[in-house]
Amino acid sequence: MGCLQTKHASRSPHLLDTREAVALAAETSFTVSEVEALHDLFRKISNSVIRDNLIHKEEFQLALFRGKKQQNLFVDRVFDLFDQKRNGVIEFGEFVRSLGVFHPDAPEDQKVAFAFKLYDLKQTGFIERHELKEMVLALLDESDLDIASDAVEMIVDRADTKGDGKIDQEEWTEYAKDNPYVLRNMTLPYLKDITMVFPSFVMHSEISETDMAV
Amino acid sequence: MNTRGKTLTERYEMGKLLGKGAFGKVHYARDLESNQGVAIKIMDKDRVLKAGLSEQVKREITTMRLVEHKNIVRLHEVMATRNKIYIIMEYAKGGELMDKLKRSGRLTEADAHRYFEQLIDALDHCHNRGVYHRDLKPENLLLDENGDLKVSDFGLSAFSESRRTDGLLHTVCGTPIYIAPEVIMKTGYDGAKSDIWSCGVVLFVLAAGYLPFQGPNLMEIYRKIHDRDFTCPSRFSHKLKRLLYKILNPNPSMRPSIQEIKESTWFRKGPREISAVNEKVLSENATTTNAAPVLASRHKEIAHEDMKSLVATNLNAFEIIALSAGLDLSGLFIKECRKETRFTSDKPALAIISKLEDIAKALNLRIRKKDNNIVSIEGRKEGGNGVLQFDMQIFEITPSCHLVQMKQTSGDLLEYQKLLEEGIRPGLKDVVSAWHGDDL
Repeated sequence: MGCLQTKHASRSPHLLDTREAVALAAETSFTVSEVEALHDLFRKISNSVIRDNLIHKEEFQLALFRGKKQQNLFVDRVFDLFDQKRNGVIEFGEFVRSLGVFHPDAPEDQKVAFAFKLYDLKQTGFIERHELKEMVLALLDESDLDIASDAVEMIVDRADTKGDGKIDQEEWTEYAKDNPYVLRNMTLPYLKDITMVFPSFVMHSEISETDMAV
Repeated sequence: MNTRGKTLTERYEMGKLLGKGAFGKVHYARDLESNQGVAIKIMDKDRVLKAGLSEQVKREITTMRLVEHKNIVRLHEVMATRNKIYIIMEYAKGGELMDKLKRSGRLTEADAHRYFEQLIDALDHCHNRGVYHRDLKPENLLLDENGDLKVSDFGLSAFSESRRTDGLLHTVCGTPIYIAPEVIMKTGYDGAKSDIWSCGVVLFVLAAGYLPFQGPNLMEIYRKIHDRDFTCPSRFSHKLKRLLYKILNPNPSMRPSIQEIKESTWFRKGPREISAVNEKVLSENATTTNAAPVLASRHKEIAHEDMKSLVATNLNAFEIIALSAGLDLSGLFIKECRKETRFTSDKPALAIISKLEDIAKALNLRIRKKDNNIVSIEGRKEGGNGVLQFDMQIFEITPSCHLVQMKQTSGDLLEYQKLLEEGIRPGLKDVVSAWHGDDL
């Protein structure tokens, strides 16, 4: 009891660094334990195709659609946003910080901002008319729906309330406040269950008692 | 170490000690966000490792998550440090059923019936999911603030507390008398049947106030168990005696199944005293049922009038984009089927709603209008995890093109999936162009 040396003589190369876990917990709505459970999930996804502890786009698609590889505009966008360093892969820290936005306890404005970036396909600081149209068409395609092009135009027009061909941050924030429904994907209640879905950490956690009681 | 008053990762405030067990202790704590009481089981990792239980602990946590029932203590989350494992569970305010039993000596047959009914219901729910308790005994039977049963440690036999010698509930030798004979013999056993045995002993103890099998030594007790040598107090009703005799059969293959217990006269009707209570509850339920605005009973014409408000029309781009499956990240975590599914239809909204009403009628479901263009559909009777309920939302992309989203909001997931597969989907066949979502 209370000995200082590590119990595990040989550390697994993919073991989560305790300091990193504590730092990520401090930065997000996750507890240290939840970060450790997420690491288990991360290891599974990031080693599913290439065993390099990094999530490649293909691995991300496979995980989301459970084995079915599927091209999807929105998945591409989500991947790009998770990939904060923009180097084509998602690292563990990026994974946790991004998922943190989806935590039920994460602040609303984080969710609003994330959704804006998601829809601002070309990252111009505005959600432009052509981007809206592209996304509507993508959804229709995903649902095997084929509707007349003037109907599509009408749908796009309705979103552009000012009628100036683009939506800025402020306009979007106002809109999301009045229509919380559009943020429905930005909260994942499952994140609260994560420690029970991936409980392996309970046996190999190296978190100290003091770190736990922060 | 004094853990009192300390905050566990800012989420829980530790309170008084509730009990001690084989692997650690249980504390009361307060969830700082919801202000609800929880029970935190703190286990010593070293002891778990030494007992060779680490794999079992992990497995049991995963299993426990799948069990959600009103009469079962819920697992909220788990945490860990280098030395300890923290299991955060629902706190049963009413304490142990055993304390109640000790205070009154024994329960009336009516009370025993009530708890037994809840116990069997909880057991049925778990067995359907392949989860067995394996250590049912009065210490694991807790009560909530309404006096309803909460079975604790379901599927958590590795977390089980050490067995105490307290005279009443164990033999003088501290033998776990609640454990089925075939488990003690270690002959390999059927988890369902051994749980049923334990239920039988529990039922006897609740109604009698003492154990069915007693003796000066273990051998004598085992002989009695083997010979089914026990005597019910004469005040027990005949129906109860008969049921106990069947359940306490030393031969597991001859022991009744949960279904058979549910069909027994005592289980269905109970002792005479309680029938009045049951009727009262039923009539109360009936009133609340009638108070709700019921669409189906008002008939179709009215529904048609209301139809406009049931369909989300004039959708804009953002509302439509939010429907994308690519934006739903829940697939990352959940291996099980999602609670959400959807279909497209090239039929007018009117046709979809009419069809829905027909199905609800045929399946004896209640259909009603909620705010925000949501149609709520619910079962009429309480399932394992409350009343089954799901929402349906119809989005008009164009007047001849609709996207309908269905989402379970309460009740049991397995029951919902069954209803979906066997009732709803075949019933909607004529109005559906294609189903979307996973594994369909």
